[in-house]
Amino acid sequence: MGAVAGVGLVGPSLLAACGSDDKKTGGNGGAASKSLWFENWPAYIDEETVDLFKQASDLEFRYTESYNDNNEYFAKVQSDLAAGRSIGPDIIAPTYWLTARLINLGWVQEIPFDKIPNAKNLVPQLQNPGWDPDGKFSLPWQSGMTGIAYNIKTTGRELKSMADLFDPAFKGKIGMLTEMRDTVGLVMLLTGEDPATATMDTAEAAFAKIQGAKDSGQVRQFTGNDYMDDLAGGGFAACIGWSGDIGQLALDNPDLRFVIPEEGGMSWSDTMVLPNGTEHVANAAIWMNYVYDPENAARIAEYVGYNSPVAGVQEIFAAGDDFQKALAESPLLFPDAETTARLKVFASLDEDTEAAFDERFSSIVGA
Amino acid sequence: MAADDDGDRTKRRGRWVPFGLLSPGMIWLGLFFLLPLVTLARTSLSVKESRFAVDAKFTWEWSNFTNAISDYSEQFVRSFIYAGTATLLCIAIGYPVAYVIAVRGGRYKNALLGLVVVPFFTSFLIRTLAWATVLADNGPVLGMLERLHLVGTLDSLGIVQNGGLLSTHVAVIGGLTYNFLPFMILPIYVSLEKIDLRLTEAAKDLYNNGWQAFRRVVLPLSLPGVFAGSLLTFIPAAGDFVNARFLGGPNNTMIGTVVQDRFLVQLDYPTAAALSFTLMAIITVATLVYARLLGTDDLV
Repeated sequence: MGAVAGVGLVGPSLLAACGSDDKKTGGNGGAASKSLWFENWPAYIDEETVDLFKQASDLEFRYTESYNDNNEYFAKVQSDLAAGRSIGPDIIAPTYWLTARLINLGWVQEIPFDKIPNAKNLVPQLQNPGWDPDGKFSLPWQSGMTGIAYNIKTTGRELKSMADLFDPAFKGKIGMLTEMRDTVGLVMLLTGEDPATATMDTAEAAFAKIQGAKDSGQVRQFTGNDYMDDLAGGGFAACIGWSGDIGQLALDNPDLRFVIPEEGGMSWSDTMVLPNGTEHVANAAIWMNYVYDPENAARIAEYVGYNSPVAGVQEIFAAGDDFQKALAESPLLFPDAETTARLKVFASLDEDTEAAFDERFSSIVGA
Repeated sequence: MAADDDGDRTKRRGRWVPFGLLSPGMIWLGLFFLLPLVTLARTSLSVKESRFAVDAKFTWEWSNFTNAISDYSEQFVRSFIYAGTATLLCIAIGYPVAYVIAVRGGRYKNALLGLVVVPFFTSFLIRTLAWATVLADNGPVLGMLERLHLVGTLDSLGIVQNGGLLSTHVAVIGGLTYNFLPFMILPIYVSLEKIDLRLTEAAKDLYNNGWQAFRRVVLPLSLPGVFAGSLLTFIPAAGDFVNARFLGGPNNTMIGTVVQDRFLVQLDYPTAAALSFTLMAIITVATLVYARLLGTDDLV
């Protein structure tokens, strides 16, 4: 969440217009078109892979990083998708729950798996996932874990439980994520509930706990990606964070730690989907096949530090240089079976339940 | 005959000139202000049939307004307190600055005015983020306060909370004051610049001392500038969400934060529209009352 998409007094129909300004530059389609546009989250690929793909594929590949926030992106593209118009990018990278919403709304196309032989490398636990039960509409980009990130210089001790985030000693030094499923999911685990089967009833204790921490000033801020600055700068003693971020930050600052709480952690995936109206499906397949090649997947994983959905990456690291060998051993990139067993994926919520969750969470976050 | 005809035509054409000159502005406002406003009004009285429906159905849904006001009265009140405090601070800081530049500026006038405007060369967002950096826990301000052993005192005053300057009322109000200060200084400067300073000499001839001359002559004559500056500060500050977002915490959200969240996260356009309209209505009434109180007859 680097930038703020500030739209105050604009009607929904005008909001929609913001999403379509690049539409015409995407190339003019047709089977022979060489163009392909992937809109991804910031800092989610190494530049080398983009260049190598351009050389290998001979496509006019456009890679943008304007995908900053799931909700804001959805608000931006929804009227185009609802009206059956192209939104511009051929591939976008929604997080799993938004992927489920897009599939349910019928706004994404099937992935042409017959043209993606490397899709066989998808790790077994991500085949036919909860958000895409038939595994037809999405292909994971990267997965990651949500847990506790802390700065041991500020906390003065190791943390191991979500209860530590509610320790009065850290009053005003705690950060939580605006990503509802991450924050509510972790606190639900603390209250002894299972986020994988969450309902408004089972989540109520967690909501009340977060509300209390906000009212008392325990929580300094609810953030997106920007929690990293606060953590490194000492503004946060501890916060809810994402595994890959801390892996990268810890290279420069060994005081930063990441732990999956003893109550359990959350697991998530960002996925590649093809929004309706995309004309370059065949080109998208070439890209997906490329990044599902373990060598290419390893190069990406080395840079982003999350959990690659492609099998064989760990073996490539293990055979690589010292840095890669260390990555192969990293519990952040390759969590062991014991850790994986403690990870949960947040329940798929139907439209009304999701609205109720968002509403309740929003009222706590202060808006 | 022919000459008369020409004269008539010129005169007739002359009658249309004001309309011609006004039309670009009118068309612009009509298209980009009035039309969206009407759409917004319609949306504020509509219901969405489902959460992800793009269009809302117009049903005279007045409950959007009552709900918006009752659910978010806290943020409304907070927005007006923050904006009001920031406006008063801007007057307190900006008036002396404008006075010195206008009256004592001499040949440095333009340079000084330039300095007032310099921060505007960077974007609003960058300026606010810069403030967040300055006020951060490992930033220069807190570091200096720690060295002066003032943190404890400021903590008891509520300026520092939990050892930090960010996520406090003070940080948000400070950010608003900083960001809108030039909008206060410039109009006050203009109104002071126009005052014939011989009037103060006349006041002194009539046995006023310096302070009396200022209070009875300069201050009243500069009120239109204060009025204009207050509007330019208060109105955008009340609807702002950037300062609350980057300098405040979850207990410092303003109504702009709520509108942004309703529009972009909850996709609840009717409530967002109702909130926007309520904000506009309150500001309009406040402005009219303020204009009455200050007497804006001779506003420029």
